[in-house]
Amino acid sequence: MAGWTNFKRNGFLSFGTTGVMVLVLLLFAGLMALNFIATQIVAGLQSKVDISVYFKIDASEDEISRVKQDLEGLEPVQSVVYVSRDKALEDFKARHAGDALIQDSLAELAENPLQASLNVKAKTSGQYAAIVGFLEGNKLRSLMEKINFYENEEVIKRVEGISGGLQNWGFVATMVLAAIAVLVTFNTVRLTIYSQRQEIEIMQLVGGSNWQIKAPYLVEGGAYGMFAALIASAVFYPAAYFVSPKIETLMPGLGLFGYFVSNVHEFIPLLFFVGILLGVVSSAVAIRRFLKI
Amino acid sequence: MIKFHNVSAIYDDGSEALRKVDLEIKDGEFISLVGPSGAGKSTLLRLLTKELQPSGGEVFLDGVNLADLSGSDIPLLRRKIGTVYQDFKLLSAKNAFENVAFALEVCGSENEEIETIVPKVLDIVGLGDKVRSFPHQLSGGEKQRLAIARALIHRPMIILADEPTGNLDLVNSYDVIKLLMKINELGTTVIFASHDREMVNTAGRRVVSMDKGKIVKDQAEGKYVI
Repeated sequence: MAGWTNFKRNGFLSFGTTGVMVLVLLLFAGLMALNFIATQIVAGLQSKVDISVYFKIDASEDEISRVKQDLEGLEPVQSVVYVSRDKALEDFKARHAGDALIQDSLAELAENPLQASLNVKAKTSGQYAAIVGFLEGNKLRSLMEKINFYENEEVIKRVEGISGGLQNWGFVATMVLAAIAVLVTFNTVRLTIYSQRQEIEIMQLVGGSNWQIKAPYLVEGGAYGMFAALIASAVFYPAAYFVSPKIETLMPGLGLFGYFVSNVHEFIPLLFFVGILLGVVSSAVAIRRFLKI
Repeated sequence: MIKFHNVSAIYDDGSEALRKVDLEIKDGEFISLVGPSGAGKSTLLRLLTKELQPSGGEVFLDGVNLADLSGSDIPLLRRKIGTVYQDFKLLSAKNAFENVAFALEVCGSENEEIETIVPKVLDIVGLGDKVRSFPHQLSGGEKQRLAIARALIHRPMIILADEPTGNLDLVNSYDVIKLLMKINELGTTVIFASHDREMVNTAGRRVVSMDKGKIVKDQAEGKYVI
């Protein structure tokens, strides 16, 4: 009760402290948005990576499906898709429907020149080498014309590098910014409490126990956090709404606003939790210094 | 009973505030502690509230050596003592009612009791019409009367008044002394530290004179003499 009264009466200080905490919470929200974008980019890149095993023309469907079954039994394999010779031809024709030269050339050929293939996707891009190793040692290796991993190896490695980099640096940047945010909040709350140090001294002289003196300041700190979370949410969602279409034109399929709307029941409580925790912990640490008499 | 036995106090900068002081104050006494600035009057009072630790000797309150009290006992000790200061030490963010109520809240009084007693005590000190005023809206005399109301709200055993008239004009100073004497008549021990000759002589009670950290005179019904 006393903490709430303090919050109301310290108008200007409360406004300033809440303002700083709003910025800190917006920074947190921004970092979460960046993490989401980075994760989506990495997932997008990784989903584009796969390897294809092309079989010789004389390989039977039965033999290919045996290789498929072997692959599906492997732990790192996420999915294996069989593309028959006919399907490959169909796809090829569809892909070059507008190219008369290719269509004519195909019509000239007596037999389907395309090979059957298996498209293999691994759970993570680092596992392709192991899958290729398995194929190399397969007893039906002689039926395989080529495995396109060797052509894709560079691309796969680069994707892996970018993913790792984004994840590691993203984590480091998040931690550094979070630490700065905590320090800024802590110092702002400390200044607010510093301005009331004489009051704390008087409360002690009148016989207030440490807990009786501390409790209103913890409530006050929590109130700063709560209001900051409220304002930050009110600013963040409209901002995400306006920015989202622009990001989507750069990276199609990346619905930033949709993501935060569908996770609203987790995101808003998280903002409130972080805000209130920051306020209460900062107050608790700051007031310790003034409880020495 | 309050007893200072062979008490010395040295500040961090090496200055000696008290030199082997011996003093006994009986329950219900009114004692004026006089002397020039720097004589050690405030230091003596601050030892009683444990704002300071003696560098030598012992301080007893009702037979308890204050050195034996733990950190969590200090608030309990301070609730037995009411303090009044020259600079009032009021909570600027709280109004008159809340300033006085705080002293009761820390003692664990019920809201109902606080709502009843606080206006009565504010009435006694002549602030019945200033219940919702903040300290910055009160005059010097009113601030000091508010501080006295806060000091006596929880019926303390002792009231320590450290230069309570130092910032007041003559009329307000008389009011404060009369209030302190009234409180004393109800059985509370009052220690009145002052270098205000007029006020000490008005009280006309035991006078303990200090100079350079020592007690130089102790008169049962004395006057301010240096």
